[in-house]
Amino acid sequence: MATEKDGNLGSGSRGVGAQKVCLPKDAESGALSPAGLRVSGFNSVCQGTHILFREFSFIQATPHNRASFLRAFWRCFRTVGKNGDLLTMKEYHCLLQLLCPDFPLELTQKAARIVLMDDAMDCLMSFSDFLFAFQIQFYYSEFLESVAAIYQDLLSGKNPNTVIVPTSSSGQHRQRPALGEASMLEGVEASLFYQCLENLCDRHKYSCPPPALVKEVLSNVQRLTFYGFLVALSKHHGINQALGALPDKGDLMHDPAMDEELERLLVQVPGLVNSVSASPEASCLPSRTPPRVASPWRPLHHSRKVDAESDGSTEETDESET
Amino acid sequence: MIPGKYRSVSGRATNNVNCGLHLVIQTSSLPEKNKVEFKLNKETSSFPGRLLQHDLERNYSSRQGDGRVISPSPRNKSSCISSTTNVTELCGLEMKTAMSSLSAFGDSSTQTPSKSRMRQGCHSAGPNVSGDHINLVSSSMPSFPILQRSSEEKILYSDRLTLERQKLTVCPIIDGEEHLRLLNFQHNFITRIQNISNLQRLIFLDLYDNQIEEISGLSTLRSLRVLLLGKNRIRKISNLENLKNLDVLDLHGNQITKVENVNHLCDLRVLNLARNLLSHVDNLNGLDSLTELNLRHNQITSVRDVDNLPCLQRLFLSFNNISSFENVSCLADSSSLSDITFDGNPIAQESWYKHTILQNMMQLRQLDMKRVTEEERRMASVVAKKEEEKKRESHKQSLLKEKKRLTINNVARKWDLQQNRGANIPTNQDRKDSDSPSQDPCPIDGSTISAFPEETGSLDSGLISALQGLSVTDTHLVEVDGDTLSLYGSGALESLDRNWSVQTAGMVTTVSFSFIEFDEIVQVLPKLKIKFPNSLHLKFKETNLVMLQQFNALAQLRRVDQLTVDPQGNPVVNFTLWKYYVLFRLSHFSMQKINGTEVTQNDMIMAERLFGILAHVASSELPQYRMISILGDTRKKQFQYLLETKGKKPGITSEENNDSKRLTGENTNRATLNYTTRDFYNEKLEEIKEKKKFCKMYIEDLVKEATEINMKNEALQKLWPQMFIELVRDAVIEIRNKNSYMKLCLQQITDQK
Repeated sequence: MATEKDGNLGSGSRGVGAQKVCLPKDAESGALSPAGLRVSGFNSVCQGTHILFREFSFIQATPHNRASFLRAFWRCFRTVGKNGDLLTMKEYHCLLQLLCPDFPLELTQKAARIVLMDDAMDCLMSFSDFLFAFQIQFYYSEFLESVAAIYQDLLSGKNPNTVIVPTSSSGQHRQRPALGEASMLEGVEASLFYQCLENLCDRHKYSCPPPALVKEVLSNVQRLTFYGFLVALSKHHGINQALGALPDKGDLMHDPAMDEELERLLVQVPGLVNSVSASPEASCLPSRTPPRVASPWRPLHHSRKVDAESDGSTEETDESET
Repeated sequence: MIPGKYRSVSGRATNNVNCGLHLVIQTSSLPEKNKVEFKLNKETSSFPGRLLQHDLERNYSSRQGDGRVISPSPRNKSSCISSTTNVTELCGLEMKTAMSSLSAFGDSSTQTPSKSRMRQGCHSAGPNVSGDHINLVSSSMPSFPILQRSSEEKILYSDRLTLERQKLTVCPIIDGEEHLRLLNFQHNFITRIQNISNLQRLIFLDLYDNQIEEISGLSTLRSLRVLLLGKNRIRKISNLENLKNLDVLDLHGNQITKVENVNHLCDLRVLNLARNLLSHVDNLNGLDSLTELNLRHNQITSVRDVDNLPCLQRLFLSFNNISSFENVSCLADSSSLSDITFDGNPIAQESWYKHTILQNMMQLRQLDMKRVTEEERRMASVVAKKEEEKKRESHKQSLLKEKKRLTINNVARKWDLQQNRGANIPTNQDRKDSDSPSQDPCPIDGSTISAFPEETGSLDSGLISALQGLSVTDTHLVEVDGDTLSLYGSGALESLDRNWSVQTAGMVTTVSFSFIEFDEIVQVLPKLKIKFPNSLHLKFKETNLVMLQQFNALAQLRRVDQLTVDPQGNPVVNFTLWKYYVLFRLSHFSMQKINGTEVTQNDMIMAERLFGILAHVASSELPQYRMISILGDTRKKQFQYLLETKGKKPGITSEENNDSKRLTGENTNRATLNYTTRDFYNEKLEEIKEKKKFCKMYIEDLVKEATEINMKNEALQKLWPQMFIELVRDAVIEIRNKNSYMKLCLQQITDQK
């Protein structure tokens, strides 16, 4: 972890350096001395706000940047999820693009595929489903590509340990459905799969989930499919915690500081009467009284948190693959 | 009132004058000769035309005592023949006039039959009014009475025979009267024309008011010139083949539905078909001498073939069912027609009636019995000219419309092609299904459009005057219609560079974009802002709006009250959040309507709830150096102000602060949410790359330089002790001989002074 931190600090300072070039003309305005700017730059790296509106290459450059982006996304659009809206992949992609104008569609599609199991890409997803799937896909994207290759090799009966990490993701998509049909028993054996993954984690230069947690995920089942594995990963709160960007699923809609800020903003809405400020609770939206239905699967993973404040997501796409 | 040229010698005949008899039957000055002459030439009469014409259905008007009846018109050139008909018709309806018309033939008195001796030999014959002049004798054939006149009668009136009101049901056999030229069967009950085939010299046959159902038995009467069959039961015009000399044919008051079998009557001058059942008039060719055609009181809706009548002067179409001039348009082609009536037709009720008729028939002298004055004619031509202009204008308009439609189709097709080419871009997939209407196969291609070039020239000139700026080309279309500026196709965006008149530019409040990439529109928004400062309503259709962030670009406009984004070609509208995002991002405009629906306060709150945090995060958590680079120079002041107030009152964003923020227009916290088009964005990325590269090079140079300096320094450090020793040694050697050194020094001092 320490090396990663160094890396991202380096990336942060590089960013500042790049900006500095155009700064001299701003120097005369007292607040913006180069030193002050540098300090604020470093601070923003620490807070994870340096990735706002940056280009995609910057955002994905380091694990810290990725985590910061995930957190920023959650913070900015938590309200969308709270409102209970179910959105399509494209719409989530638009939201991502609000924060990162050149965010590639491919990543969003992959994340949506984890939620929707590839069958109907135009389906609606709940915010939390998408967010956790997106987290796995975005943060571990290189790792997942390697895993996909390993999975393919296992399916086709090759010796996985000699696998060379592939770079092409498109080939994987082409093959997968055909292979899924071919094998009578869907998926691969979990233990064998884990061995390969462990091996991979050892030599993988990109970040990967803690092997212990992967083992935990895989130990529950005999066989599993690739997407089953991804779904399990995305719903594993331990991995979420290890990643550290997002709160637990139960707390996903909870951000009191921001809610407070939002209330303050609402008062300023132009032409608005004071009735808004009279609304009793910050989290309660006027137009919708959310039908909070506890989802069927959540207690399995988060038995300690029976959330009165769920996002109202429909779990249509969530088959517990375990 | 007696027409000067009336030449009837018979004193009794003068009674006739008030009937307006034009047919001059010139009995010789010696009545004994009994010579009847028909003067059936056109130029004969200068008779009161008014009376005649007007009296075609005479009975009514004369009864009503219409003043016009009596006043003679010296200008009238109507032929004498026409008057004959008139008179005859008249007779049928009114006893008195009928009598007088008969008197035209020389021997008339009001007691017509008095001079003929009839011997009643038949039961069917009515009471013989005058008794002993005419004897009807039963012949050997029991059904036909035989007519015999006394030799005295015969001598006196050898060429005429009048059997009026004899209650005849059949034609009597007329014996020994081969010289008869005039035969009158008026007011009988005859059902069939018979027994007159031997009267081959007959010129005048009057069967008015009988019960004849078919024209027959006339084939031998080759010299017949006047045939009067009014008020009978004839259904069909037929069996006139041999009557080549027929001059007057009166068939009024029958049940004829069709004009037929008259084409050989090349000498016919008067044809009366009034009060029949005609609905269409045609098949008139061959009637080369026809000067008067009476078609009143039918059910005529259309008239054709009139232009094939070279001599036609008077046409009476009163009381029919003509409703438009198109149905009688052949009249305009007749050069001889000088007198026409349309009264009692639907067409006569129309406001355009008079001037249309006059305009189309310049040769007309009388319309509906009234003389056409010069003034009227002038008025008509003025009105017609105006109408013509209007028509041309509307034609122009429709042409324009058509052209516009074609162009839009063309633009749409191009757009579709363009979109399909880029269809592998997944964002465009939605369009295909939503597009189907615009993909209608339109058979227009470049060639069709270029078929219009001539019109284009004339159009443009007319256009400017019509205050409708419009430039049409194949690839794009710009249109200003009232307060709406419509742009079709990306080429249309260039029109924003044009010099728009202040008035036009000021009037435009709605700007509509179709078939243009939104990214291209973004680039002209600053121009739009300057050129059309009053534009409040933006419409987007087929503009490839796919992302929420694209709406950020609209924030730079001055005002937007309404936004309409057509779902067609704009997938973003399918998003549930798009409306709220627009409201949020463009909240400084206080939008009134989005896609036609009123924006409510709840919408505003919702928008703020959904995206307020985004704005907050964007403004408060963005590092300062980023903020500056994003906002650019224009916003810097604003931002600094924000910073200052924040610095003064940390933690509390006071009301005044909010107010000032609001005053400055767009909320600063939203300003960071902007949209750069993809090309521009890539450019920016390139630029950043370049800058990074430059920095790297610069630093590398610096490092290199520093290293060199350092190396030199190190080398110097190494050499320095040795050098120092050398220096000291030199100095010591120099001062070893104290005296000489002192001397030298003193010497130097003195030298200096």
